[in-house]
Amino acid sequence: MELNIYAYKCKRCGELHYPYKTICKKCGENDHNEFDIVPLPKKGKLLTFTTLYTLPSDYEVVTLALGIVELEDGNRITGQLDIKNPKIGMKVNGKVSVVRKDLYKKHLGMIFYKA
Amino acid sequence: MREVYVAGIGITSFTRLEYPLVEIAAYPGLMALRDSGLKKVDHLYVANMGGGRINGQTGLASAVVDHMSLTPAGAETIENGPASGASAIKQGYMAIASGMHDVVMVIGAERMREANPLEATDFVATLTHPQAEYIYGVTLPALAGMFTRLYMEKYGVTARHLAMVAVKNHKNAMDNFFAHLHEDITIEGILDSPEASTNNPYVADPLRFYDVCPVSDGGACLILATAEVMKKINKPLIRLAGVGQATDTHCVHERKDPTELLAVREAARQSFKMAGVKPSDVNVAELHDAFTILEIAESEEVGFFKKGEGHLALEKGETQIGGKIPINTSGGLKAKGHPVGATGVGQAHEIVLQLRGEAGKRQVKNAKVGFTCNFGGFGNNVVCLTFIKEK
Repeated sequence: MELNIYAYKCKRCGELHYPYKTICKKCGENDHNEFDIVPLPKKGKLLTFTTLYTLPSDYEVVTLALGIVELEDGNRITGQLDIKNPKIGMKVNGKVSVVRKDLYKKHLGMIFYKA
Repeated sequence: MREVYVAGIGITSFTRLEYPLVEIAAYPGLMALRDSGLKKVDHLYVANMGGGRINGQTGLASAVVDHMSLTPAGAETIENGPASGASAIKQGYMAIASGMHDVVMVIGAERMREANPLEATDFVATLTHPQAEYIYGVTLPALAGMFTRLYMEKYGVTARHLAMVAVKNHKNAMDNFFAHLHEDITIEGILDSPEASTNNPYVADPLRFYDVCPVSDGGACLILATAEVMKKINKPLIRLAGVGQATDTHCVHERKDPTELLAVREAARQSFKMAGVKPSDVNVAELHDAFTILEIAESEEVGFFKKGEGHLALEKGETQIGGKIPINTSGGLKAKGHPVGATGVGQAHEIVLQLRGEAGKRQVKNAKVGFTCNFGGFGNNVVCLTFIKEK
């Protein structure tokens, strides 16, 4: 089964939200759960990135590359990068896998690779 | 609404402090009481972010009001991330302006160094979006690093500009007894020399060690009072004339143009409008330079310089003491230190010192209008204050 990260599409006006919001940011409607769940696309281009050298205590790696990606449908997502020499504007492909482990849980999220 | 004045101020050193959080809050309160000559307050607000998580101390304001023997005055703890300090001042302003109280003590206090640096960074990172940012390992330095890269690409800001902010603020802190870092750094030492990459390693590329504020303990206090109370005490009339606050999306990736800090722009606009002044009227400002890039970006967003030209003004020395608009005369968060909950009150403390003419070697001549920008999260909750010296 292919894992996805999901966006929330307003049933009234079609606006996509990632992450989830209680009230639609476009039409302002607030009937709870008036959203359709749609998978975010996995292709996109890199908007900006950083390599982090001071990591939170859960991580066992020395550095962590993070970036913001503009996806094909115009939505944006923050994710981890597994790319040697990232460049602004480069095309990337995402895959959902484990991005953080703590004592109790493995957290899934999007990791991007060079397209 | 009634007008609100600053009756007294107090501060601790921003550094590593080896005494309990309650005392870090109480000592600047005591200094402010002495400064004002007042003995009692009607209400106490204590700004703090990490007491419950780092120090195992919840209900901080209740502990402080008793520690200072100010009971039965009302007391509340205010948590608004790194903007807690200015938020607490805003609460104090509203309490007096509304007619509910006459004298309000506002304290900001934090004791972060009780945690190890990894825990402290992780604690601040809990400000980020839990599902869409935090789980990826996103921290505040990571968001600032991504922001800096975009800013460099779009406006031509370079590592040299960032180093210039650090050098300026470290230089200002040399004349501030209460500053965390008394370390007169040079561009050569942190950027140009062969040792620079060792002296100044990357934290969140392109941000380096000297682009990032230290983790500090510290407390600061402002006593706010009505015009009536000010007549009874012999203190300069520094009026809290403008208060503005605005928010932005929680996730940085949701912002249409992530190089724009819309909450800063809006909070500053409100604050200036309420005070009846323009950005060009400001003589001295404390901006929230948790990362050097933020001083440049905020100086544009609040209206001191055009968007994309903050680094050019910095090059010309316009933000130094003696320049057109001196920024972060205290050393800023970069060198004075950043005890998160206390920072906003610490910024206001510096502005009051400057407007009173009590800032010593770092005094800005004839400062009449002062401004602070206290930046919470990564710009998702910003409080701006404008102070005016009367007569």
